[in-house]
Amino acid sequence: MILSSTSRRCNSLRELRFGASLACFAAVLLTVGSAASAADEAAGPVGEPYVYTHWETFYASEGGLPNDHIFAITADGDRLWVGTEDGLALYENQTWRSWREKDGLPWRVVSAIAVSEKTGDVWVGLFGGGLARFSGGRFDNFNQFNSGLVNDVVYGVAVLDDTVWVATTAGLSALDTVTGEWEIYTEKNAPMEEIWCYNVDAGDGKVYAAVWGGGILEWDVKTRRWNAHRDPDREMEIDLFRDDGLIHIITTAVSYVDRVLWAATYFGLSRYDGRHWRGYMDHDSGLASNFINFTKGRSATSSYNATDRGLAVLSDFSTDTWVSYRRDTEDAATWTAHISVGNEERRAMSTDLSLPNHFVIAVEIQGNDVWIGTGHGLARGVGAGFFEGLSTPHVEVAKEAGQ
Amino acid sequence: MKAMTLLMSVVAVTFPFFATGGDTQDPTPVPGAKKQVYGDTPEELMPYGKFTEPYKRFFLEPNEYRGYGRHIPEPEHVDSVKIGFLGPIEATVSVATGGASHEEQMGRKMLQGARLAIEHANARGGYRGSKTPYELVVRNDNGLWGASGNEIVDLAYKEHVWAILGTIDGANSHIAIRVALKAEVPMMNTGDTDPTFIETAIPWVCRNITDDRQMSYLLADYVFGTLGLTRVAALRANNRYGRMSIDEFRDAATRLGHPFLAELNYQLGDTDFTPQLERIKTLEPEAVITWGDSEESALILAQMRAMGMEQLFIGSDRMVTPEFLEATGDGAFNVVAGYPYDPESGDPKQVAFVEQFTARFGEPPETYAAHAYDGMTQLIEAIERAGLNRALIRDELMAVTSWHGVTGEKVYDAICSNRSPALLAVVEDGAWTFRSLGDR
Repeated sequence: MILSSTSRRCNSLRELRFGASLACFAAVLLTVGSAASAADEAAGPVGEPYVYTHWETFYASEGGLPNDHIFAITADGDRLWVGTEDGLALYENQTWRSWREKDGLPWRVVSAIAVSEKTGDVWVGLFGGGLARFSGGRFDNFNQFNSGLVNDVVYGVAVLDDTVWVATTAGLSALDTVTGEWEIYTEKNAPMEEIWCYNVDAGDGKVYAAVWGGGILEWDVKTRRWNAHRDPDREMEIDLFRDDGLIHIITTAVSYVDRVLWAATYFGLSRYDGRHWRGYMDHDSGLASNFINFTKGRSATSSYNATDRGLAVLSDFSTDTWVSYRRDTEDAATWTAHISVGNEERRAMSTDLSLPNHFVIAVEIQGNDVWIGTGHGLARGVGAGFFEGLSTPHVEVAKEAGQ
Repeated sequence: MKAMTLLMSVVAVTFPFFATGGDTQDPTPVPGAKKQVYGDTPEELMPYGKFTEPYKRFFLEPNEYRGYGRHIPEPEHVDSVKIGFLGPIEATVSVATGGASHEEQMGRKMLQGARLAIEHANARGGYRGSKTPYELVVRNDNGLWGASGNEIVDLAYKEHVWAILGTIDGANSHIAIRVALKAEVPMMNTGDTDPTFIETAIPWVCRNITDDRQMSYLLADYVFGTLGLTRVAALRANNRYGRMSIDEFRDAATRLGHPFLAELNYQLGDTDFTPQLERIKTLEPEAVITWGDSEESALILAQMRAMGMEQLFIGSDRMVTPEFLEATGDGAFNVVAGYPYDPESGDPKQVAFVEQFTARFGEPPETYAAHAYDGMTQLIEAIERAGLNRALIRDELMAVTSWHGVTGEKVYDAICSNRSPALLAVVEDGAWTFRSLGDR
């Protein structure tokens, strides 16, 4: 397939030097462009990434959300849990339900949510209120006075098998939901240069914690050993080399998918495939800003980044193709999607996303859709006809099918 | 005293450091042609400066806040305009010591300074002259690591403060600003000199005290440049303050080709330092540097002198106290420290502040009180200009590039960190004297 071979060439070129991806993207367009007769409506010309052009918005004033300041979004099949500055919300079958303190929620600020695949329990991180288990319509509160939770200021929650991992401002706690036993990880028993845990993600036998001032910590469930990923230059004010490791030791979020690690910082984004690191910053990529509040890996080659200047999507790792959604001006009616290769913008597309502010705090993938939470409102990008990577020419698809 | 006289008679050399050789390797391409310098770092002290240009330099542009907060309407009525205070004011158990906490003295002074600024603002008519008073909401951060996080959550969501002043301990400060970032509350720091505190890209934070980076550069210039010494050994506190704050001096020593002969540490609460000092003595250093609280620094110096070690003794600003001089007595010679401002400048604002503070509290102010007074005054001025909106208060705070207070002229860099030059504090005739860059 022409596109595949071109992509492979691009991949090897990418290894050679920065900037090659620009040429690769052009090659992709030239190679497949002539063969394509039509492209997916959402995708535009052949060889381009998918662009979310249609969005739905949700506000507290419409009666669904308990509050417009969104801190966390977690998909659970067709259900969507949303954590706000004043309550927990559930979106299911196009209907909202919400819980505030008067409904039994132990504390108003919901900063993290994770759902146990095994039990269906919803684990709710509370910013200053500890951890809550929402099960059977009842909230049970775990805090630093009644449990092994190391601190009540919770930033992140993840569930792996029977264990709930909680990132707090004073270390990491792990609750074995079968035995009820807690384990606490701080500088005393883990390689934490600092103990300020900001986020946690888990999967495939690994737990990753983003530690503010401590890089990314990796816990291997089977061997029960820690491994620390840090900024190799060990300096706060510089990044010595782009791809030598983590961009910065102050990490804000981590996402582990398809054995690839995505690490967000306030200084850019890092990707690690277990062998190679790759760094992205606003001057060399489609990131509209280095200030990344959260990252969500969609696959090994695509990540969605909640920045203070919109949603930055690395759509295709091999060609370094990005889609950055943001308001172009303060008074713009809607957001614009900017398609770029590296930091070279190829074109811009209008969307109907009308959230009034593009400081994105949370992002989640649900099927083909993407959800983003901001300081004032929630939005869903409707992924009709979504595809990963770059669009494929119909001629080539047909040829391949025929073969 | 003889050694001190000799030391001080050395002719001062001009800043910056003496020239050093460089690597000829081609630098990594850097976006943007104009070279800027973060932290007023001298060329010779640039990280990897002899190796290559870094791919990216941070902290050269302002930390922007791009959130929704500016659109939140001002409340129609408030009984008072609340400002939070976070500091170590109550004695508790300390993780650092495994015993008694150790920063209450500084915290209480900080509280006095903040309180006086509130009182002065209220005497001027309160919030925008409306007679609505400013109210200080005080919280203790001196608990175990993490306590400050709970307190900031409490201040932000229960007390609904408009801004927060605090704190001193580096760990607590870092925890506090991460919470302030999420809760979107502006913070003014007046007591944490840890350089990394401000190196976090958080757009809600300002610091008005000259940090250990600046003090270390000055000390390094003095020790290795002016005095031409090369052999330095370190004995520092084994807590976050000692670990993080000596960093810049250690790096400077290494980059100038004079790495520490040794870096030993002690536990907070230790009183006998002879085991460490005996090891250091055998290395024959020309100077010993410590980074810790006044009490331990005084004990180290006293024990050094008792062992016949008359080397230059270098310390941090926490050492610059009357108690240090009392405890060290005749041993207080050949002593120098960095200091964040000139407490004897004679500036009319400073003179008036000392009078008013002393009249109010029955004791004179010191550095934590003076910086808290300035920091709180800056916060109040920002509130007066912005109104009752946290994001707009933040904007006003960040817009200040220079400000004249009781601690002198404050010059803020792109990320709202005070870059006013540090001073050398030198013991002379049994008293601390303060020298600026030019007249040391």
